Amino acid sequence: MFKILMQNMHGKVRLTFFLAPLVMLIEVFCDLQQPTMMADIVDSGLAKGDMQFVIKTAALMLMFALIGICAGGGSGVLGNYASLHMGQSLRTKMLTIALNSRAAGGLPPATLITRITNDVTQMQNLVMMMTRGMVRAPMLMLGGVVMSTLVSPRLAPILFVILPVLLVYTLLVMRRSLPFYTDMQGKTDDMNRVMRENLQGAKTIKAFVLEDHQQAQFSETNNALLNSSVRAAMAAVPLAPVIQFLLNLGVVIALAYGGSLDVGGVILDGQIIAFINYMIQITNAMVMTVNIITAFSRAITSATRVQAVLSEQVGEVRVGSAAGAPQDSSVTFDHVSFGYDQSKPILDDISFAVPSGQWLGIIGTTGSGKSTLINLLTRGFDDYTGTIKIGGVDTQQLDLAAVHHKVTVATQDAMLFSGTVRHNLTFGDKVATDAELAAGAHLADADEFIDPLPKRYDAPVEQGGKNFSGGQRQRLNIARAAVPDPDILVFDDATSAVDQTTNARIQQRLVQHRRGRTTLIISQRVANLLQCDQILVMQEGRLSARGTHEELLASSPFYAQLVETQLGGGRSDASDESRS
Amino acid sequence: MQVMNRGPRHNLHQEKVQVTDWKKTTRRILGYIGFARGKLLIVFGLTIFTTAATIIGNRVNGIVVDQFLKASKLHLLYVICLVLGVMYLLSAVFTYFQNSVTVKVAQKASADIRGDIFSNLQRLPMRYFDTHDNGDVMSRLTNDVDNINTAMMQTFVQLFTGIVSVVGMGAAMLVLSPLLTLIALAASGLTYLFTRAAAKVTQKAFMTQQEALGALNTQIEESVSGKQVVQLFDHEADTMATFNQTNARYTHAAFIAQSVSSFIGPVNNGTNNLAYLAITAAGAISMLTGSSTITVGIIFTFLIYLRNFTGPINNVLNLINTLQLSLASAERVFEVIDEQPEQDLPGAVTVKTTTGHVEFEHIDFAYEPGRQILHDINLVAEPGQTIALVGATGAGKTTIMNLLTNLYPLQTGRVLLDGRDVTTIRRADLRHLITVVQQEPYMFQLSIRENIRLGRASASDDDVVLAAQRAHADGFIRQLKDGYDTVLSENAHNISQGQRQLLSIARAFIAEAPVLVLDEATASIDSNTEADVQRAMTGLMKGKTSFVIAHRLSTIRHADQILVIDAGRVVERGTHESLLKQNGAYAALYNSQFDQQ
Repeated sequence: MFKILMQNMHGKVRLTFFLAPLVMLIEVFCDLQQPTMMADIVDSGLAKGDMQFVIKTAALMLMFALIGICAGGGSGVLGNYASLHMGQSLRTKMLTIALNSRAAGGLPPATLITRITNDVTQMQNLVMMMTRGMVRAPMLMLGGVVMSTLVSPRLAPILFVILPVLLVYTLLVMRRSLPFYTDMQGKTDDMNRVMRENLQGAKTIKAFVLEDHQQAQFSETNNALLNSSVRAAMAAVPLAPVIQFLLNLGVVIALAYGGSLDVGGVILDGQIIAFINYMIQITNAMVMTVNIITAFSRAITSATRVQAVLSEQVGEVRVGSAAGAPQDSSVTFDHVSFGYDQSKPILDDISFAVPSGQWLGIIGTTGSGKSTLINLLTRGFDDYTGTIKIGGVDTQQLDLAAVHHKVTVATQDAMLFSGTVRHNLTFGDKVATDAELAAGAHLADADEFIDPLPKRYDAPVEQGGKNFSGGQRQRLNIARAAVPDPDILVFDDATSAVDQTTNARIQQRLVQHRRGRTTLIISQRVANLLQCDQILVMQEGRLSARGTHEELLASSPFYAQLVETQLGGGRSDASDESRS
Repeated sequence: MQVMNRGPRHNLHQEKVQVTDWKKTTRRILGYIGFARGKLLIVFGLTIFTTAATIIGNRVNGIVVDQFLKASKLHLLYVICLVLGVMYLLSAVFTYFQNSVTVKVAQKASADIRGDIFSNLQRLPMRYFDTHDNGDVMSRLTNDVDNINTAMMQTFVQLFTGIVSVVGMGAAMLVLSPLLTLIALAASGLTYLFTRAAAKVTQKAFMTQQEALGALNTQIEESVSGKQVVQLFDHEADTMATFNQTNARYTHAAFIAQSVSSFIGPVNNGTNNLAYLAITAAGAISMLTGSSTITVGIIFTFLIYLRNFTGPINNVLNLINTLQLSLASAERVFEVIDEQPEQDLPGAVTVKTTTGHVEFEHIDFAYEPGRQILHDINLVAEPGQTIALVGATGAGKTTIMNLLTNLYPLQTGRVLLDGRDVTTIRRADLRHLITVVQQEPYMFQLSIRENIRLGRASASDDDVVLAAQRAHADGFIRQLKDGYDTVLSENAHNISQGQRQLLSIARAFIAEAPVLVLDEATASIDSNTEADVQRAMTGLMKGKTSFVIAHRLSTIRHADQILVIDAGRVVERGTHESLLKQNGAYAALYNSQFDQQ
């Protein structure tokens, strides 16, 4: 963990990290002087009637108080500087890794996001703690013990008995209550889940008249949560009164014992007062220390999670030797296999060839490896066996940029970025003209809803494209892939959420724009593949059949059945009609 | 001496909260803790005792310092110390009692509030769920209830103890020495003023920080979840460049805001130290000049009183803010509790059977006034018929079906089941008679068996299996490791979309309702499962009056009536053949499937 911190703090930042606790020590030192000086005023000033001494000591106390303020605030500034800049550097590193990782597997996006946001914030807090609280609390405690021993050595044994008892007791209570808190968290999650189900499933609940069933379930989880949270809270309830009592007990003993010594002239009033003040200070510091330990253990968990991201394999990107992308736009897969796990390949010995300018369709069940095929073509993963060629050149010989210039993909997941429509459509071609944007939008049938927007291409896109419907997001996604007018265009199940009519229109426009240019269409809908020169049928990572629509109707029972369910009994005459 | 003062909390930048009727809201919160009235009164009584004990104890300490340490009254000193010890023990026991009562009462009240929210919420009309964001409702149940809990645990009790302490300590201090009290008050005031001033200074910086943090998180979220797109379009460098800018902006704003506020703690600490100094010095000087009755013991007592005074006074000031926040939370919570639930018409009748004759009579409908969705819908379904509704997304097909189960209040026209207006039938009965298979069926985090059984609570395990078989779901269920006992994850993400549909069809089978509403999925599902879904749906419709919001032509072709809906109107109706012959909207839609050459 310390390593992560050091790797993200250099130069000025690292200096402030070490300087902050030192400055903090000055504040602690100043704080610790106050009770002793007060004892001096009482014992030396008042007892001897020395006004001069009282004023001198008071001036000194004032000075210490002011220095304390400056040192405390100063160390805060230094600590903040270190922690915020550490966080800045850590976030940049983590995001760079997240964006460049091309290895298979890896952390899911939701986890990665939490780690880059929340866990980094936790790490920032950790730095603040390390530079401030973790220094301040123990030093106040330690300093308090030292100072009180110095001021009144005869009373110190009281501290040595009460403090360890307090410390052990506090830790015991904490250890006992921790599992209760974990349990409570679990119960809270349960309760939230039932509630969420009720909101999301409102229509289902009404349709099947499940109100009473849900009510019973909620009462059960609500009661479980009630019992669990009472148990957790009760475990910590004795802590405050016990600490308070032991502290008061210490004061009483100090009074009684100190009083008896005082009578003998061994100890002075001021010393008893100072001792009691130190004891209060020490107990406060102790409570603070306990809180910090809890916070610290939480931060450590975050550090482990951050470390996991930092040690993700980014995967070397092999730089190609070929100068640029080939002119030719054929695609060839030659005995390509791929899998995260050797025994369960995701793609198993795939071979096919698409001549330049032809259309290829791919159909198959979910998880049959269709999208992975495209991922390999665009070099999302490099650790496959076999050869993939574009225009006769092994893609491994090409620059990533060259591949991505040659091939664009309308992805399955229509991810939009906040900004403007233009920002999203120019991802593949930063200098696209309005005419080029319009051509892409036309292909995707997105012009229909972009054109009426008041600002057209400069209309805002909210986070996740929330201000567009699911179907519109998919159409923008298609437009993004079409704007660069690529040599090879891939549709990865890109129209799954658009309605039939729009889907049909997109198919028409696709024919209009892409006839005679290499186009790959992955779809679950047979109707979308009717225009393809060749269709691949994939099942469980293998190519189970290939051919034209008519050939497959005869050769692949699986394909024939798909056509039957999707297009209904009358499909052959219907398609004959339209094809003729 | 109380060491557990929570100390001044820096609630610097609270959102502006609006409490419309704090009296009424407070009364309602108090209603929830009314069950423990007696115990709470005891708690308040004990609070006065513990505060008094602290005041007296500390004063005795001071007297001891002044008098007993001087003379040789050792045995008296021991007696006094013993009495003090017992008093402290009692006060510790009382504090324990106080805290445990508060904890239990507050938790019980929170659980009751949650219960009230839930039981009302799930009886609210569909309209409520359409117009309220799930996240907002969730936050009322969790955050807002937590806030009320805090209000009860801390605010009520701490505010009370705080006020008792402040008043008690203040009075005791004033009696001891008006001069020193004045100094103490000045110190408290100073601390408060400084905190306010710092808040004002940093407010703008904190706002910039929040805004930059929001932008930062959005960018992280977008670029991580959109990684595939970023990589495919070689956008890594641009993304990082924008991110670096925001990252630096955030760091800068946060540094300024937090640097200023990192002085608040030390300044308060320093002010306290200064107050100590001022009290000691003032006391010492007046003792030396012999102008007052101040003794060492009084200074000593005073300093300890001060500790018990500044803590609570800061607390009380903060608690007033917290209280406001809690009351605002409570109002949000009570809003949900007070929302009008779905209610059957007075005199709604019990209906247990139906032949399945359904009629829609001149239906006009708008979800909100002025935005009419349906215009004059008429339709008669004879028992056992299949009616297909066809049309573009947003044409109003689902809305028509929502009216059948009385999910929304109808403005004009009537929906009749066996000639009886559905709004005059008890909702529970009506919904038992009509089963709806939604486009995106909801699965609960229960076993598959229990999820299917939700269709009819009285169904036996054998009934469940039979329904699954008829729904063509039995095959995939048995392939799962735990079979019918497989617990579905939230939203059933551990099975495919097609499989979720099969389960919801099984659920519909087991419900055995005479009328069926099927909302076919628009999105294409797993081609393999699709055949199963198709067969299962056909099986389900057999012998029932069925309404299908159809996207698959094969379903539509076999319907007895097809209604083409456009912009809330029935534009064409008839059978597949007759509509094709008309060569209108339906024919165009049908051909679009194939017309791509």
